[in-house]
Formats: sequence, C-alpha cells, structure tokens
Amino acid sequence: MSDPGSAGELSTTQTAILSAYSELIEEVGTDDVSFRLIAARAGVGERTVFRYYPARVDLLLATSAWIERTVFSRPESESIFDVPLAIREAMEAYDRRPELAYVVAEAAMRGVNGAEPAPHRDRFEPMLRREVPSLDAQERRRIVASLCHLDSAATWVTMRRELGMSGRDIADAATWAAEAVLDPIRDRVG
Amino acid sequence: MDETVDTPSAILASAAALLQQRTFEDVTYLDLSEASGVSERTIYRRFPTRSHLLESLARWIEAEHFPVPEFRTPAEFREAMRARFHAFEATPAYAFVAARGASLSPTAEAAETPLTAAIASMVTAAAPSLNRRDALRITAAVRCFASPLFWARMRTGFDMSADEIFEAFDAALRSVLPAASTAARAA
Repeated sequence: MSDPGSAGELSTTQTAILSAYSELIEEVGTDDVSFRLIAARAGVGERTVFRYYPARVDLLLATSAWIERTVFSRPESESIFDVPLAIREAMEAYDRRPELAYVVAEAAMRGVNGAEPAPHRDRFEPMLRREVPSLDAQERRRIVASLCHLDSAATWVTMRRELGMSGRDIADAATWAAEAVLDPIRDRVG
Repeated sequence: MDETVDTPSAILASAAALLQQRTFEDVTYLDLSEASGVSERTIYRRFPTRSHLLESLARWIEAEHFPVPEFRTPAEFREAMRARFHAFEATPAYAFVAARGASLSPTAEAAETPLTAAIASMVTAAAPSLNRRDALRITAAVRCFASPLFWARMRTGFDMSADEIFEAFDAALRSVLPAASTAARAA
C-alpha cells in the first residue's frame, strides 16, 4: 500500500485485517503476531494479507492510521483555542487503550513514507491563520509544531514512560502545556 | 564467546554498527550473532523479542551517541538541547531508532532516564516554591519537547532542520518555563 494513511478507501477485507491486527496487538503485543494469526482472526487467507501488505511495516502503518481514525477519532476543534480540550480528550483516550497508543506513537517515528507524524497540521494552520492573522509565518509554524507534538500519542507515551504519570495527570499536564503555548497569542486575536 | 557482563553491550554495539547500512527491520538475530560473535541463543535469551532489542538499543544509543551534558540552569539546558538536535541531525538513523525505542510499550520496569531527572532538578531550582503538581507538569511538558520523538516529528512532519527544530523547542520552552518563574514570584 503506497498510501496507508488515506481514509475512506479501505475494502471490507482490509478493514477486517486491520481490526484483527489491532485486536491481537492488545492481546499479545506487536512482536509475536504472525501474518498467519492475523489472517485467521480476520477470516481471510494469509496470501490475501500479503497481497495488501507485502511487508510488516506496510501493515503496521496502515493499522496505526486506522486506529487513529477509529479508536482515537474525535470531533474536530472549531477554534485553535479549543485544541487544549481536544488534547485532554485524546490523552484520556490513549490511557483507555495504552497498547494501541504505544503502537500509534511508534509508527509515527518511522521516518518513512506513510508514517503520519503530524496529522493535525493541516487543520491547525488554517485555523490559526484565520483567528490570529497578525502572526508571521515563522511564529505560526512554531505554535502549530508545538501543538501537533502535544496532541499526539508521543506525549502520552513520554509522560507515562519517563515520569510514570497517571492518565489523569497526563491529561492535565498536556492540556496545561497547550494552554501555555497559546497564552502569548490570546490578546492578538482578530 | 563466553557470556560476560559485557555481552549485551557487544550485541547492542554490533546492532548500532549495522544500522549504518540498513534499517532496524533488516537487522536479524543471525546478523547480530555473526557481527558480535555472541551465539543466537544468547541473543534470544537477552532480547526475547525485537521490542526488547529495540528498547535496549535505543537506550544504548542515547547513552553512547547522544549523552546530555550536565546542566543546572535553563540557559545551560538550552545549549545542551541545541547540541542534541544537531547530533540527531548528524546521525538520523540513530535518532529515529532512539525515538522508536522511547515510544514502545515498556518491556521492562522503565526507570526514568537521567535527562528526566536533570530536567526535574532544573525546574525545581528555577522555581523552588512551586507546588509538586505544577513542577511535575512543567517537567513533563519540557521532557516531551526534549525527546527524540519531538525531533523526529519536526523533521518528518515539518521538514525542519536542526536549527529550526531548536527554535521550535525554544519557543515551546519559553511558553512553559516562564510559568515557573511567574509562579515563584507570585508565591
């Protein structure tokens, strides 16, 4: 699959494969799941899995994108200043499905085509341009970059792994940090 | 090769050397055995799954290739991070593996890294009267921006150079860390 991130083009078979793999990730982890096991769970032949996803990385990236769109989907923010609330909801969602959060975080770090390291960038940038038009391109890019990183499974994973924080504390810290990033531009709205 | 205390290091050093020619996915346990002289069986015992290997390799790469110099003040911390992002850019293959290993579901009891402890000390020193909750969330936010995960997202998601990534880091740092000094003055 050249573009595992694109939405809305999955066949029933592909959806069955991706959801089977994500179930197995939660049950046994990413490593010990063979294509045979995935095929059996999805109710398709092993060759069918290989036809859609020739390499494990293809399957992983497609599954990660599917998890982001389904398990971790959420309403789009109307305003850039609503993003901290969306981040709180995202962190709470990651905490409910930790194994899937780790997979999404790691898949975004592959540095290869198909990984989606900043999925919200295309929404944040126009919102910020509209709501705070006086920002120059560089300031805007930095704010969008900070928010994209805070609004990601990487933030949940780092706070969990490095600081041993609870889901509630992570949601609180990530929301607060996003507010802090937006604070300097609040009085420039208009 | 007899198993000694250095065996895991020998395996990880071989893995890191192989990363200069191929991706982590293409490094097999057989390759590692041939390169390190450690039996495949021993490698499997040390690293029962590839996640174990990746996580340990990331930690080894951080310690060997991206050591963070001691810092006490925000100014020293900034300089350490500028150097860190440049080091990541100089060896991106290592930095991406560091980022991947740091985002895995932990295979062992994860102890906090020295960087996390150093950031926590810096935050406490910068704002000694901060309550624990505020200090924790500042430390946590700063830690997220100091991570190879931040570097990797900026590089692949925003096409930023090391200098641009540092500028983005610095803007984020100034957003979350002045809060510490403000809180200290108010207290």
